[in-house]
Amino acid sequence: MTAPTQTVVNKPPFDAGRAAYLALNFVLLFFLLAPIAIVLVFALNPTPYISFPPVGVSLRWFQKFFANPEFINALLLSLWVAGCVLVLSIVIGGACALALTRGNLPGRTILTAFFMSPLMVPAILTGLALFQSFLLAGIGRPVWGLILAHTLVAVPYVIRTTLAVLHNFDRRIEEAAAVLGASPTRVFFEVTLPLIRPGVFAGGVFAFIVSFDQFPVSLFLVVPKGETLPVVLFNYMKFDLDGAIAAASMVSILLALSVVLVLERLIGLKAYVKL
Amino acid sequence: MTTITAGIPVSRPKPIARPTPIAWLLAPALLLFVLFFVLPFGVMAAMSVFSANPVTNPNAFLTTRHYERFIFDSAGIYHDALWATLRIGLITTIVSLLIGYPLAHWMARMQSRLGHALVLMAVIAPMLTGIVVRTFAWMTILQDKGVVNTLLLQWGVIGKPLPLMYNEFGTVVALVHIYVPFMVLTLTGVIGRIDERLEQAARSLGAGRLRAFVEVTLPLSLPGILAGSLLVFALSISAYVTPSLMGGTDVLTLPMLIAQQVGTSFNPNFAGALGVILLLVSLAIVVAYNRILARLSGEQGLA
Repeated sequence: MTAPTQTVVNKPPFDAGRAAYLALNFVLLFFLLAPIAIVLVFALNPTPYISFPPVGVSLRWFQKFFANPEFINALLLSLWVAGCVLVLSIVIGGACALALTRGNLPGRTILTAFFMSPLMVPAILTGLALFQSFLLAGIGRPVWGLILAHTLVAVPYVIRTTLAVLHNFDRRIEEAAAVLGASPTRVFFEVTLPLIRPGVFAGGVFAFIVSFDQFPVSLFLVVPKGETLPVVLFNYMKFDLDGAIAAASMVSILLALSVVLVLERLIGLKAYVKL
Repeated sequence: MTTITAGIPVSRPKPIARPTPIAWLLAPALLLFVLFFVLPFGVMAAMSVFSANPVTNPNAFLTTRHYERFIFDSAGIYHDALWATLRIGLITTIVSLLIGYPLAHWMARMQSRLGHALVLMAVIAPMLTGIVVRTFAWMTILQDKGVVNTLLLQWGVIGKPLPLMYNEFGTVVALVHIYVPFMVLTLTGVIGRIDERLEQAARSLGAGRLRAFVEVTLPLSLPGILAGSLLVFALSISAYVTPSLMGGTDVLTLPMLIAQQVGTSFNPNFAGALGVILLLVSLAIVVAYNRILARLSGEQGLA
């Protein structure tokens, strides 16, 4: 690796050091982005096995993906779980963040760190610990257990984004509403909630993606025939590497992206404009 | 947990208000965390010292044999797995640092706002695609009929496909790609806070560009290097998907061993012991990471 050397912006006609520095960084950017672009190429390439260079453009892998009930059931389960996680983590995380900033609770810093801790622990161990608990409790591996497990690792994102908004919150707006005669409930629903909404929903987008792409937490908590999409893809990839996986990858990338865009359109942008 | 219910402030210099009714909004999160986080990890620790499932098996007894099995390791697999986990974690961390530093430096020192936003997006975009998808991408690139081998064969550089996958090399490449964004984001923050004028001063005093970087910017960014490295290390030693798909039969890491104990050997008690060991290793790293970040922000406050 050549060391990055350029920091001072002086403008000679040609600067070899600067050029090398830029070239290196563009190579690194290529390393980051090319693999994702390659997935798209293979999703559209019609050859039966992953082969390079691509020979044409077809949708046969998308057809194979959508014609396979195993993929579709997994996709629907993943969407259902991620949707539930989105709603649950918004409610639980938003409420938690409000309590942390407005509740006058002692030990706030420790509490906040505690609610962030699922991000600090290896996710596969969270899955293992829950698997063992379900085993001891003798409840099998229910879908609600999976949903709550995903919610646990998604809630910290909502708490974090909501806390960030609450941090910059001008409480005088609430006080003004109260002075003008609004009841505390009305202040909450008509002033506080709309103001923290962007933070809560930004966290919700993260929560959805965390759940939709979740693998380590799901691994031990899904049952055969009731697996989420990442788990089905993982099992398929152990034996078969064809374009169907690429198509499935594209579908999940596009779905995650469209959820982000839809939420942004529906709530995000408007809320930001209001702010 | 008791700190929440005990609303009476004890020995605080400043009188603080009692918890307001809004504090009750903490209840759902607290319930979720106790039932799905605190309790399960307690269960995991408990399972690791029982011979069998203590609920269904009346003959289950307390034992340290799962830990002994790991420590004495008659077959030599567990120590190898632990060593492989740490080795892969370490190499991944070093390569991530070598790749992440130039990008972070570039981002931190970029004048144009648009450029900064574009690079930031490029760094974050891979994070928004799942681990399984990104590992798949690397399988298509590194397998025998993958992109790299096909191109090298076509150009006549090699006679037969290079073994780029189903070994530690492939595992590390994919892990680096997955975790380098964390390195970049940690480093950018730290490099961005280093006063650029320090390096300019060194240069105006006659230091070359390289020397100014090596003697000024690099030492000042050491805390960021340490923090980013600890983060990537903690993440990569707990990775499961990538080593098991990219490593083939060549690689066995601690998380893979845990999955094996749950899935094929069905020994949740031994899995629990392995889990406790992995947890202790990664918690030690995370605590160190938090210490460094806390000290960094403390210094920032003084400056």
